[in-house]
Amino acid sequence: MGSIAPENEIGNLTLMPKSLTLSSYSQMLDKIPIGGAFINSLIVASSITIGVLIFGSMIGYALSKLAFKGRDLIFYIIIFTMTLPFQITLIPQYIIMVKFGWIDTYLALIVPYLINALSIIMFRQYFKSIPDSLIDAARIDGCNELQIIFRILWPNSMPAIITIGIITFMASWNEVLWPLIVIRDESLMPMPQLVTLFAVGGRAESQLGVKLASAVMLALPIVVAYLFFQKYFIQSMASTGIKE
Amino acid sequence: MKNLLNMIIIVLLTYLLNSCSSSNKDSRDEILYWCSNNNDEIKFAKLSTDEWNKNNPNDQVKYQAVPEGRSSEEIILAAVVGNTTPDIYSNMWQGDVEAYAQAGVLVALDSLNGFLDFLYERCDSSVVEEIKSLDGHIYQIPWKINPIMLIYNINLINELELNGPPKTYSEVFNASQKFQKDFDNDGYVDRWFGYSEVEVTWWQRFFDFYPLYLAASGGAPLVKNNRAAFNNKYAIEVFSFLQEMYNKNYFSKEKLSARQDVFLAGVTATRFVGPWEIAHAEKFKPKGFEYEYNFMPVPDDHIGPVYTYGDPKNIVIFKTCKDPQAAWNYVKTMISDEGDLKLLSLTNQLPRRKKLNTNPFFSDYFLKNPKMKIFADQSEYVKGTDASPVLKEIFDLISQQYEACVVYGMKTPEQAINDAADAVNLLFLE
Amino acid sequence: MLVSPYLVHFFLFVAFPVAFSIVLTSHKWNIISPMEYTGLNNYIRLFNDKTFFKSIGNTLIFLVIHIPLQIIVALFLAEILNQKIKLRGAFRGAFFLPVIVSGVVVTILWQQLYGYDTGLLNRLLTGIGIAKVGWLTDPNIAMSSIALMATWKNVGLYIILFLVGLQTVPTQYYEAADLEGATHMQKFFKITLPMINPTIFMVVILSTIGGFSLFIEPYIMTGGGPLNSTVSAVLYIYKQGFFYYHMGYAATLGLFFAFIILAVVVIQKKFIEKDH
Repeated sequence: MGSIAPENEIGNLTLMPKSLTLSSYSQMLDKIPIGGAFINSLIVASSITIGVLIFGSMIGYALSKLAFKGRDLIFYIIIFTMTLPFQITLIPQYIIMVKFGWIDTYLALIVPYLINALSIIMFRQYFKSIPDSLIDAARIDGCNELQIIFRILWPNSMPAIITIGIITFMASWNEVLWPLIVIRDESLMPMPQLVTLFAVGGRAESQLGVKLASAVMLALPIVVAYLFFQKYFIQSMASTGIKE
Repeated sequence: MKNLLNMIIIVLLTYLLNSCSSSNKDSRDEILYWCSNNNDEIKFAKLSTDEWNKNNPNDQVKYQAVPEGRSSEEIILAAVVGNTTPDIYSNMWQGDVEAYAQAGVLVALDSLNGFLDFLYERCDSSVVEEIKSLDGHIYQIPWKINPIMLIYNINLINELELNGPPKTYSEVFNASQKFQKDFDNDGYVDRWFGYSEVEVTWWQRFFDFYPLYLAASGGAPLVKNNRAAFNNKYAIEVFSFLQEMYNKNYFSKEKLSARQDVFLAGVTATRFVGPWEIAHAEKFKPKGFEYEYNFMPVPDDHIGPVYTYGDPKNIVIFKTCKDPQAAWNYVKTMISDEGDLKLLSLTNQLPRRKKLNTNPFFSDYFLKNPKMKIFADQSEYVKGTDASPVLKEIFDLISQQYEACVVYGMKTPEQAINDAADAVNLLFLE
Repeated sequence: MLVSPYLVHFFLFVAFPVAFSIVLTSHKWNIISPMEYTGLNNYIRLFNDKTFFKSIGNTLIFLVIHIPLQIIVALFLAEILNQKIKLRGAFRGAFFLPVIVSGVVVTILWQQLYGYDTGLLNRLLTGIGIAKVGWLTDPNIAMSSIALMATWKNVGLYIILFLVGLQTVPTQYYEAADLEGATHMQKFFKITLPMINPTIFMVVILSTIGGFSLFIEPYIMTGGGPLNSTVSAVLYIYKQGFFYYHMGYAATLGLFFAFIILAVVVIQKKFIEKDH
C-alpha cells in the first residue's frame, strides 16, 4: 500500500504531461479566475489564522492565568462546543449570514472561524507551563494585560504559535463546504470552491487536461509550503493528537 | 459589567457595519434590465435598449448582463434574498417563476394596462394556461424557447437503408439494432444509436425523459392540482422505451461525454438536443458531415402532433421596480414583431409566439436559416413546465426512479412510475 | 474583558444557531417566503424519508470500512517505519502530503483512477486480461471506493500518531518478552496493542468525526449516485437546505444527525477505550 501511495502521485503525473500541455493551463486561466481565487484563499486563510492566534491567545491567557468568576464555566462551555457537530449549526449560521447581509462577502468566510475552541485550549495548556513569575514581573513593571500577552507570552510560545498557525491556516485553506454555502459570486470564491465547481459543473466542458490543471493549481501552494515547513507541519499534526 | 458593555458595543458595531453595506438602490432612476451573459443576448439587449432610450427620454432603460456565478438561477435567488433585484429580468426559467410568485417578489403582470390584450395576441390559450400561476395571476410573459428535437447524422442513417429517420419506438429499435457494431471484436460495443447522460441530475431529464413524455402524451402535465399527474401509460411507455435502449446497449451507459463530441465523430448517430447545437456543429463538424433535425420519437400507436420540451425562458418584472407600467412598455418592444426578428437574427433562439412558421414577417429569416425551419414548425407544439414551487425536487425524484429502472433495470417501468408518483405526492403533503 | 469577544462569538455562532436550529425544525422556510409554522411535520417527514436513512447508512458503511482499514494499514506502516529503515524520513514526508492537500485535489485525481473506461485502474485490469470494475458505477462498491480513497488520503496522519504511540511503549517490556522467547506476533498482540490503546482510541475518534463530515468527496466524485449509494448524511442535508431550500427540514435532519454522532461516539468510548 505504501509503495502505491507515492506511485499514484507519479502515475498521475505521467498521465498529466501526456494530456497536459501549457495550453491546458492557459485554457484554464481563460475559463476561471483561478488567480483571483488564490488571492481570496490567501486573504481569508491569513485573516482567520491571525485572528485565531490573537483571540486564542487572549482567551487562553485569561483562562490559564487570570482568576475571575465563571472561568471554569466558560472552560467547560468551550470544551462542549468542541464536541458539538457542525451539522447542527450549519443551517442557522447560514441564516445569520443572510440576515446580516454577509452573503458573498469575506466577512461570511472569516468571522465564524475567528474564534476556535481548539486553539483556545491549546494556548491555555501551553500558557499553563509558562511560569507565573514571568508574568508577575511584567505586571510589576506596569504592563497591562494585552501587553503581557503580546510582549511576554508570544515570544515564549513560538512552538504553540507555529503549531496552531499551521493547523489553522491549513484547515481554512482547504475549507470548501462553508464557501459553497455562502459564496455564489465567482470573484470571491476561494480556490477549493472554484476548483470543485469547475470539476463538477460544465465549465470544464469535460476537457480532462483543464480539470487536472486546476487541481494541480489548487494543490501547488500547500505542496510548496509543505516542502519548506515539512518539519513543522508534521509536528503540528502530531501534537494535536497528543493534546487530546 | 465591563463584560456586558463590551458585548453590547460589539453587537452594535456589527449592526452598523451591516447597514453601511446595503445597496443604494433607492437612488436609481432608470429601469434596470438584466439579460443573460450570453454574448448574442447582450448584443440584443444593447440594440433593444438603445432604440427604446432614443424615443423615451423619461424612462431610460439600462441593461446589464447577469453577474457571473455558478448559474443564473442562483444569482437571482441571491438578489431576491439580498433585496438587490433588477427591475426586469429576461432569462427566467419558467420552472422557477412559481416559487418567486408565491414569495411575493414578482409583479402580477395581468394588472398592468394592455398586458392581457398583448398576451392573447402573442400566445394561444394553451400557452396562457401554462404560464398562469396557481393563484390565477400571470407573473411572466413568454420570451423564447429552444425545443428539444432529434438530431441525426444523415450519412449514417442513410447507410442503414431505412425510410428516413426513425419516428416511432419500433423504428428506433430497428435502426439501433442495425447500427450497433463492435468493430474491433473486443466484446465492447463501439458505436451506439444515441446517447443521453445517465446522470441522476434533475435537469438531465429535460434531455431524455421529459421531451419523450411530452411527445408521447401530447403535452400532458407532470403535476396538476398539487398531485402527481404523470402516473399514466405515457410515462410508463417512455421509461419502457428508454429501459430497452439501455438494456440492449443502443444507448451507451458509459460517460461518453468524457470523450470528444461523439455525435460529430460518428460514434453516435443521433442525439436529443436543441437548436444551439447548430452553431456548435457548424464550427466543429468534420468534412462531409451532414445533419438534420426531426421530431422526437413516439410510441407506435401515437396519433396527432409530436410535442416536445421547449426550455422556455420568460420575462418577469420584480416588485422592487418603481414603475412597472413603464417597464412593461419597454418589454413590449422586446417582444414586438421587430424585437422577435432581432432575437432570431442575433441569437438564433425562437420567440415563443403563435404561428411562427407561417407568419410572413419571419419567412425571410427562415429562408436564410433552413435548419431552423423545423423548429418553427415544432414551436406550435411546445410545452414548458407546470407551475409548481418544487419542480427541481419533482424532477429529482423522477430521476431517481429513472436511474433504478431505466439505467439499472432494477424495477419495471410501472413500478418506477408508481414509486415516483408516490414520492412526489409525499412532497406535496406539507 | 479579555473573554468578551469569545462570549459574543459564542453567542452568535454557537448558542444562537443551536437554539434557532431547534426552533427552525418546527417551521417551513425557503428563504424567500416568510417562515411558516408547521409543528411536527418536519419530524414526520424525516421518519418517512427513506433516502435520509439511506444516507446515514451510507455514512456508517463508509465508517465501517474506513476505520478498521485505516487502523490496520496505518499501524502496519507505522510498525515498519518504526524500524530504522533507510529513507524513513522521506517516506514519512511522502505519506503525510496527501493529508494536507485539499480533499478536492485528491478526489479529482482519484476520479482518473476510478473512471470506468478511461480510468487508470480499469486500463491496467483490462491490460492484464481482467474485466473492468465499476468502481464508481456499481452501487455495491461505490462507497467502498470512496472509503479506500479516504484511507489513502489520511493514512499519513495516523501513521504519525501511531509512531508517537509506539514510541511510548517502554522497551523493557519487549526485552522481557524476548527473554521468554515470545514471537513477533505474540509481542505485538500482547504488548503493543494494549499499550497503544489510547492511540487507537484517538485514531478511531478522529476518523469517526472525519467520516461523519464526509461531503466533498462524494459531491465531486459521484454526486451521490449510483442509486444514492454514496450520498453521505452531510451531502443529503446540504442538498435539502441549499439546493431545494427546505431550511426547516434541513435543520431537523441536522439535529437528528448530530444526536446520532453523539450516540456513536459514546458507544465507541464504551467499547474501545480501556482504562489502564
